[in-house]
Formats: sequence, C-alpha cells, structure tokens
Amino acid sequence: MGTYILRRLLLAIPVLWGIATAVFFLVFAIPGDPADILMGHHPTEEARKNIEAKYHLDRPILVQYGYFMGRLVQLDLGRSYAHKAAVSAILFERAGATVLLALTSVIIAVIVGMGLGCIGAYNQGSWLDGIVMAISVLGVSVPVFWLGLMGMLLFCKVLGVLPFPDPEITVRHLVLPALTLSALLIGYIARMTRSSLLEVIRQDYVRTARAKGLSKPAVFFKHGLRNALIPVVTIIGLNLASLLGGAIATETVFAWPGIGRAMFQAVGERDVPLIEGGVILLALVFVITNIIVDVSYVALDPRIRLK
Amino acid sequence: MAKAGAVFLLLVALDVLFGIASFEGSSQPRDETLLYRFKTDAPTLDPALAHDTTSSTVLQCIVDGLVEQDPLTLEVIPELAESWEISEDRTVYTFHLRQGVTFHNGREVTAEDFKYSMERVLNPATAADQRWVLEEIKGADAFDGKAVKHVEGIEVLDAYTLRITIKQPYEPFLGLLSMEAGSPVPREEVERLGEDFASQPTGCGPYKLVRWKRDAVIVLERFDDYWGEKPEIKYIKFKVIPEDMLALEKYWRGEFDLLMEFPVKRQRELLERYPDEAQTWPMLGVYYIAFNHTKPPFKGNLALRQAFNYAVDKQAICDVIMQGVPMPSRGVLPPGFASFEETLEGYPYDLDKAKRLLAEAGYPNGEGLPELTLQFNTSEAHEAICEAIKNDLAEIGVKVRLKNLEWGAHLASIKDHEPELFRCGWLADIPSEDNFLQLLNTGRETNYSGYSDPEYDTLFEQARFSTDPEARRRLYAEVNRLAVEDATWLFIYWYRDVMMVKPYLKGWVKPVQGDFRMPLNTLYFKSPPGS
Repeated sequence: MGTYILRRLLLAIPVLWGIATAVFFLVFAIPGDPADILMGHHPTEEARKNIEAKYHLDRPILVQYGYFMGRLVQLDLGRSYAHKAAVSAILFERAGATVLLALTSVIIAVIVGMGLGCIGAYNQGSWLDGIVMAISVLGVSVPVFWLGLMGMLLFCKVLGVLPFPDPEITVRHLVLPALTLSALLIGYIARMTRSSLLEVIRQDYVRTARAKGLSKPAVFFKHGLRNALIPVVTIIGLNLASLLGGAIATETVFAWPGIGRAMFQAVGERDVPLIEGGVILLALVFVITNIIVDVSYVALDPRIRLK
Repeated sequence: MAKAGAVFLLLVALDVLFGIASFEGSSQPRDETLLYRFKTDAPTLDPALAHDTTSSTVLQCIVDGLVEQDPLTLEVIPELAESWEISEDRTVYTFHLRQGVTFHNGREVTAEDFKYSMERVLNPATAADQRWVLEEIKGADAFDGKAVKHVEGIEVLDAYTLRITIKQPYEPFLGLLSMEAGSPVPREEVERLGEDFASQPTGCGPYKLVRWKRDAVIVLERFDDYWGEKPEIKYIKFKVIPEDMLALEKYWRGEFDLLMEFPVKRQRELLERYPDEAQTWPMLGVYYIAFNHTKPPFKGNLALRQAFNYAVDKQAICDVIMQGVPMPSRGVLPPGFASFEETLEGYPYDLDKAKRLLAEAGYPNGEGLPELTLQFNTSEAHEAICEAIKNDLAEIGVKVRLKNLEWGAHLASIKDHEPELFRCGWLADIPSEDNFLQLLNTGRETNYSGYSDPEYDTLFEQARFSTDPEARRRLYAEVNRLAVEDATWLFIYWYRDVMMVKPYLKGWVKPVQGDFRMPLNTLYFKSPPGS
C-alpha cells in the first residue's frame, strides 16, 4: 500500500507539469494584456515598460515559461500581479473557508444523498421512489444562485432562523451555503446510489442470500449496499475535489471568502501567477483525492488489489 | 470504535478549519464602528501601486499627502504641507511641512520621507501602476534608481522644506499631489516588509490598518497620535459583499451604515421612497460609445457620426434603463468643471435630422453601410444600453451587431481599434479638465477611438500649459466645443453617483469625484447605530 501511494504521488509530477504548462500557454492565448489591466485607466509608456520588465512580460513566451518553471521546481508559486502578495499566501488565506464549505457540503450530501438513494431503490417503482427521483433531478438542475437566494429569503428573512450571509463567518453562517452547495451533489449521489443498488440486488449472490432466509433489509443493506458503493465513492471523490477548488457561484451569493472567487477574479485580471497557482493546487487536490478514492476501493471490496 | 474515532477526527478537523476560516478577537463595539460595504476587495494597499477606487477608499484613511482637495469645491487645501510658494514661471513648488506629524510606527515625517516615497513611485524597480501621477516632475524619466540615483526635481532643503520642480508649467500638478501615490510612507517599513508592504501598509493618516482578511474584511482603527483632528468613530470595518441585493438587505438590517452601490433596477424606487437615506448627485464621469476614427465608415465622415448621435434617444436610456439617475450628455466635459458650458446643446434625439444626415453621409436609409459591430464589456447595464442603441439605429436603417467581451479582452480589442463602435467610460482620477479632454488627444494610450485632429491637439496643449486660470477655462471650453462639433463620440450620459446613508450617520458629503472620495474621518454618529 505504501509503495502504491508513493508511486501514485510520483506519477502525479508529470501530470502537474502537464497541467501547469497547458494553463500557462492557455492564459497567453486569451486576449488581454496583464500590463494594461494593471495600469488601470491611466496607462503611460514608462509605467508599461517598468511593469513589463518587472514581470518579464517583455520577454519571449518561452523565456517567460522558463522563469515560471524555474520558480515552480523550487516550490515557489510567485507573486500575484494584482495583489503584489505571494500566491501561496493568498491561496492559503482562503483555503480554510473553502475546505470548510466543501467538507461540510460533502458530508451533508453523502448522508442525505445515500439515504435518499437507498429509500428509492428499496421501494423501487413506488411513490416514495418517485419523490426521491424528483428531489435528485431538482438538485441536479436547479442553479445554485437561485437556490441560494431562495434559501436566504426563506431562512434569513421570512423565518429569521439563520443570519444573513457575512464574510465574517461563524457556524450559523455555514449552514445555508453548505446546504445549497450540497443540493447538486445530493442529486448525483442519490441517483448513483439508487441505480447501483438496483443493479447489485439483481445479482445471483443476493438471490442466494435471500434464499438462505435472510430478511430483505439485511440482504439489502449488508450485502447490497456495500457492493453498490464503489461508483458512489468515485462520484463523491470527484465532486469533493472540484468543491475544494472553490465554488464561484456559491461564494459570490453568500459572500464566502473562498478560493473560487479569487480564481475568477484572477482570470479577469490576467493575474497569471495566481491563475497558475490556483490551478496547480486544484490539480494536486484532484490527484490526492483520486488516490484516497482508489485506496478506499480496497476497504470496500477486498477482491480489489492495488498494484 | 473505529467509526467513533473517525467521526471524532472529522469534528476536530472541522474545528481547526473554522479556526483558520473565521475570526478571533473580532470585537469592535458596534457603536464605535463604521460599517462600510465593498463589492470587491481592495487588490492592494500600497499607495504606489493601487489604482482602483476600492483601494483608494481605504488608503485615503491610512495615508495623508502634501495637500488635499476639497471633495466639493475641488480647491487644493493644505494637508501635510502647511503652506507653499510657486515660482514666477510656475514650475518650482516649495512646500513648508507641518512639524510633529508621525507615521503609525511613531517616527516623525520629514521632507526626506516625501523624497523617498516619490522616488519609490518613479523607480522602475517598483513598477508602480500610479507612476503617471508624478511623471511631470523634472528628471522623472532619467531616474532609474541605479545610474541616476535621485530625481532631479525633488530636493530636500531642510527637514521641513521640500522643493519640487516640474518639467513645464502644469496647473493641475498641485491637485495631483493629493493622490495617494504622492503620500509619504516610512522607508524602514517598506524595506523591512518588501513587497508585503502592499498587504501591511503604514502611513500617517487618521486611521491605521489593524486587520485585513482578503475577500472578507478590512478593519481600520483610529490613530491616536494623528496630527490633525482625530476621527470620532474609532473603527472602520469594510466588508466584502459581492451581491447588491444582499448588501441592501444588510443595510436595512443595520449591518451597514453606508451603501455606495445598489441594484440598478431599484434605484428609482429607492430614491423616491427613501429621500432621506437614498442620495444622488452629479459626479465627474462620462459614459460614451466611441466611434472608431481609424477606419471607415466613421473616419472622416462627420455627417455619419452626427446622424448616429441624433438617432440615439439618450434621454430614454437614462430614464428607462438607468432609472432616471444619470443625465444625457452634451459633450466630453461633465458639469462640475468651471469650463462646462450649460449652453452647449449636443445632439438631442431627432430622427428626421438623423435620416437627413445619414443620406448626406452617403448612406440613404442605411443603404451601402455594412453591418457594424458595437462591442461592450460584460455588464447587465451595458448590455441593455447597447441593445437600446441597436434598436434606435435600426430606426434609421443602420444594422448593428452586438459583441460582448469580458473586460480584459474588450480592453485589448479597443486598444487595437478593432470594432467600429465600442462602449467606454471615464471617471475623473483627478478633477481636472485635461483628465477628460486627453481622451481625444493624438497618441494617448487612452485615446481608444483613435481620434486625431491637429487643431484639437494644439488647443488642448495650449489649455493644458496655460497658467492664467481664466484663459485656461476659456481654452478648455473651446476644446470641448470642438469635440462636440466634430461628433467625436456617440455621447450617451454623464454619471451621477448614488448612495444610501443611515439617518444616524452625520458628517458626510457628496464628493464630485464620486463616493470613493468621501472623507471617512469626519463622519460621526448622532445616535448609536442599530438603536
């Protein structure tokens, strides 16, 4: 297991390099000049010259790429053009809020989504199943900003049980964005759990278990659910990783000081170092989450061997 | 057992994250704290580097300059300089500094600090976005911080006397020195922090920075050793709320004392229903659609440009889309400047005239005119306005295609003079006519429309360097008239600012440069907020 994880981590290096390189050239391909945006409404020739020299923007793109890679191998993400602060500091400052929101939403989504999925599959074809399917379709299709605003209207304004969102966050401020953000994931997980369960309970060994005289719930949850979990875990892993990269819409609606908004602004400002730093961080999170997901397969299904 | 352990670990992890994400010691008493909303965070708080209004709002509390400008009359008044003399030829400024002024770190501010700070802005190594503010100083261009160690035009005569020489007479220069880029910063702090000074700035202003959590909150605390009148309100808390509707809701609930932006669609309703709290006033800003003067069909075709100006119903744009807030514009210079002429008519909506001029331009009923591109940067209001212009132009037979780009791409495209028509706006960064009229001066980077007219340029230069106020006023008015007669832009509107302010908050003004120039240190509560 240890060597497996180590090998996977080593394999991540070329992946990260590829992503960093692709993003670097992509940012160059989009129109818009960082120096223009930095100078705001009052550009002058001298200021442009200085800014270009300082950030090496006047050098050929391959030389700039060289500088960038040179810094990266020293684990230095550079400094943001717009904020003049270290990219690592900017990302770290927002990481707490992002991880908190992502983890809470995923926990809610796992509990609610899997619960709904089980109810649906257990009562396949009944009205309960219909309700579960309806909820999951709604969750997947309702836009986050609308759901967020409606949640605010109901819980903060009409019922008054939750405070209006505030960037100075407390536990009570976490509830609404976490619920909103989990809606989409609840939809995915519920559908995946349900369909995966339905597939599993048609297998021969489930029929055998029933034939042995085990009760339906026992067969369903003990033999069925565990075997149905592998695709569900995959979905959870992928979504957790993307949530850890920030959720722009949710962060905007709820004034949540996370990574998503910072990245969105960085693209608008052509803040190349910050875009790069954010993407590399996100890629790293994806790689690590994938490793965790793969390792958890072993725990779920002893037949799987990690090589 | 293992499961309980996992849950326990998870709870610990969440608790730790909360520690990082939330705030310890967030304990400014409500009745001593001004709550101010930001739509976005300040990008940087280094006075040499900040160029946006959000950063300026904070910085003007943290730093002081040699002079300041009255937010209403725009008159230059003393700040850190008690007095000054200007030489006969209007190029040498001698400032006599106030004594006993200290930085937030306790050290006294002397003339050396001004020299250091101004040279820092001009030093190529700083790559200051705000370099233009001090570019008129003699020797600014030769100074490189290496071979040429000092700026020729900045001299320290003694600890409290500073002499600045500029390249040529330029009357707005004194006003420029009121901008944050001209303020002194302590050398020892800049050298200690390096580029991190942008996150932990020190100045000598009425407030000092105590906390800044990005995208969340900036907290300032009164500087008790401030040289001038100390502010009554002890803390200022700027909170970042991107959503206008949420910000408005929080304002109603007393979670903001001031609100500088609110949803465009609700402006009229708020202004009518809450006349005591909702304020609006003219500000120095102009919104226009630029004609591309570098290529056909607008290049050299005055009748066509006039036809477009007559065809667009600017009043309707102001009344319907902008909810009656801005004023239809009749020129480049907005009202508020001495050289503004109320008599200038501009181009009132007149379809007949538009059609006649279109025929005169060689395109009767739009025949022969290819489909034109009108480009704008992403915003709900810009889109609605451009949509209205498109419909108005269709009335005279002109076909327009709308193109929406995000800001950076829009900027790159208009700099290259790509689209035939494009949206632009200008807010005064210094309250001087030449700040607006330079937008049509040949060769300027900000002359996105690519307009070039020798007569305009000559008059503009004359006005710019004229030292007689009356002659300057007359010349600027003439330049402005020229811009209107030549239908240089498709004139749309002059901005008006809006704000909501709680009845218990007093001491506020309506700055002609816009709300970001409101001095926050003179505000006070008449009764405790929230009560």
